[in-house]
Amino acid sequence: MAAQEIDADSGSEFDDDLALQFYRDRPEWNDIIPIPQDDGPNPVVRIAYSERFQDVFDYLRAVLKADERSERALDLTKDAVELNAANYTVWHYRRVLLQALKKDLREEMRYISEIIQDHPKNYQVWHHRRAIVEWLKDPSNELNFTESILEKDSKNYHAWSHRQWVLQTFKLWDGELDYVHKLLLEDLRNNSAWNQRYFVMSNTTGFSDESVVDREVKYAIEFIKKAPNNESSWSYLRGVLALRDISSFPGLMQTCQDMYSENVRSPFLLSFIIDIYEEQLESKTFPEDTLLKATQLCDVLIQVDAIRLKYWEYIKRSLTLRFGKQGEA
Amino acid sequence: MEDYADSNVGEYSNSTLSIKRHVRFFRMCLQALPSSYSSLDTSRLTVAFFALSGLDVLNSLDVIESEKQDIINWIYSLQVLPDPENTDESLSRCGFRGSSTIGLTFNPSEKDTATFHPYDWGHVAMTYTGLASLLILGDDLSRVNMPAIVAGLKALQLEDGSFSALENGSENDMRFVYCACCISYMLQDWSGINKDKAVQFIQNSLTHDFGIGQGPGQECHGGTTFCGIASLVLLDRLETAFTQKQIDGIKKWCLFRQQTGFNGRPNKKTDTCYSFWVGSTLKLLKVFNLIDFRWNRNYILSTEDTGMGGFAKWPDFHPDALHAYLGLCGLSMMGEEGLAPIHPALNISQRAADHLLSIHNKWRDGADS
Repeated sequence: MAAQEIDADSGSEFDDDLALQFYRDRPEWNDIIPIPQDDGPNPVVRIAYSERFQDVFDYLRAVLKADERSERALDLTKDAVELNAANYTVWHYRRVLLQALKKDLREEMRYISEIIQDHPKNYQVWHHRRAIVEWLKDPSNELNFTESILEKDSKNYHAWSHRQWVLQTFKLWDGELDYVHKLLLEDLRNNSAWNQRYFVMSNTTGFSDESVVDREVKYAIEFIKKAPNNESSWSYLRGVLALRDISSFPGLMQTCQDMYSENVRSPFLLSFIIDIYEEQLESKTFPEDTLLKATQLCDVLIQVDAIRLKYWEYIKRSLTLRFGKQGEA
Repeated sequence: MEDYADSNVGEYSNSTLSIKRHVRFFRMCLQALPSSYSSLDTSRLTVAFFALSGLDVLNSLDVIESEKQDIINWIYSLQVLPDPENTDESLSRCGFRGSSTIGLTFNPSEKDTATFHPYDWGHVAMTYTGLASLLILGDDLSRVNMPAIVAGLKALQLEDGSFSALENGSENDMRFVYCACCISYMLQDWSGINKDKAVQFIQNSLTHDFGIGQGPGQECHGGTTFCGIASLVLLDRLETAFTQKQIDGIKKWCLFRQQTGFNGRPNKKTDTCYSFWVGSTLKLLKVFNLIDFRWNRNYILSTEDTGMGGFAKWPDFHPDALHAYLGLCGLSMMGEEGLAPIHPALNISQRAADHLLSIHNKWRDGADS
């Protein structure tokens, strides 16, 4: 989290002749005095930089210090990015240069698209893209672009963050549910896609309208039936019903009980039924055996979800403490 | 420990941790990394933090006894100090850099000697790991320009309560809220944070499935859930920020992350670092004892590099400083023999946290007299 993931491909070799030439050997740079890195007498976590890395960054340090606003500096930032795309100062400097030199931002969009393809999990490159989209005020390529990244990794957090920002900033909600639906058909365990569905719903219709809630409950249940052991679809169901009594939602308890009689023992199913019982216990109008049924389900969970044995014992204990007759606990 | 003693779960249940091997790994990280690590060029300080805190948790800081002062000086050389020519305007740039890559002259003192640099900024993650590293090394923070750092923080909070990492060119999210809270807690000065707004940002980032994301609407994630909950603990707002139902939901979401080790999101792969991110969140929520220690320990040990030491995210992958350190922290929280206890909110050893407390007491006594 705090440190960047290591890019296996950083330090990749350049293939054309000009790029292979060191900056120190280029006549058009001989007016610049390179600045070496000064790490003091006892450097810590020294990196064995390649000769090329040192050369590029010695010159970068020099133009940064002078705050040079030139085409050659802009080219230099490209070489620096190639060696370390996580250097946020290089990206900031590049943005300063793009504006100072009034560069074609569409060209920059093509460039950053390529870089993101190579470094899809790097914070700095996505931030740069966002800045360019903001300057252009043009989100027209963003949904396609994030889609192409999500095709390779449908849970890439950066791509989803960027997509959410675009949807929210430019109000591009139409069609997003279809996209999410397509992803869920490909992988119904894609939690990012479920989250996106919830995100779109909360930002558009919300969950106060009965017909919307009915539709989304049906949607979730359809997926739950296909894979009852899927945490994401159960969480979505719970999220849709967050503002309501789940115990009084028509047909829901029956659906759960049917699954139970069909021998489904998914921890998420059992846990959901316990939650319904708990709600009934809180409402104080419930059949006498509600607590017993809930604690019996805890016993089943202790068997089928053994890694959480202590948790289910704890839930059983706390239900008994809260709702049991005195002495029962 | 009693939890693993009586049972054999997984193939590593009888393995013991080799302290020596991990000490060697962290020493290597502190010395030199190969050129393939060049993408860490701007954040070398975070690697130093993982290695130093790792040695601390291994009770082995004595192996760098003779280098401590040099390391302390190197860390101080990364402090962004106010420009004496233009103190007020330069304050918002203060904090720590992650390395010397910007090209300034080495200066370990608390006084600025360099001329103004137009692209020099502190970065909150570096300020946090810099201060934490100084504490681990037993430094008294006397060369830290505290008012400047607090002013630097103030410049980074956004309208929605979140924090950017630096004044120019950074995203804003939950990670940096956490860093800002650690810094304010360490310096015992909260004037750089609008607490109510920070709390609101964390509340707004609670998801429908009761984890916390990088920001409102974003998918919940083990790392950002830790950042949110630990921030609330440091802000002393955990009790009031969420309802009991919400807290119960967060506990459950975290406990469901355990597969053998922990994953960071529902339906994702187990990864060593979440034994810390999720484990310490459960510790802060006071239900860490509900996890299955045996499977968690077995997973962490399965990612150990038994040749060069350290832990990787997955079995048979290359180890790195982050996973090596967080793997150790995961084991420490379960009472692994030979490891020092950790302070789960600050992500440093309890010993380093106690040292911080003694510094706070000294500051208080100094202010009283």
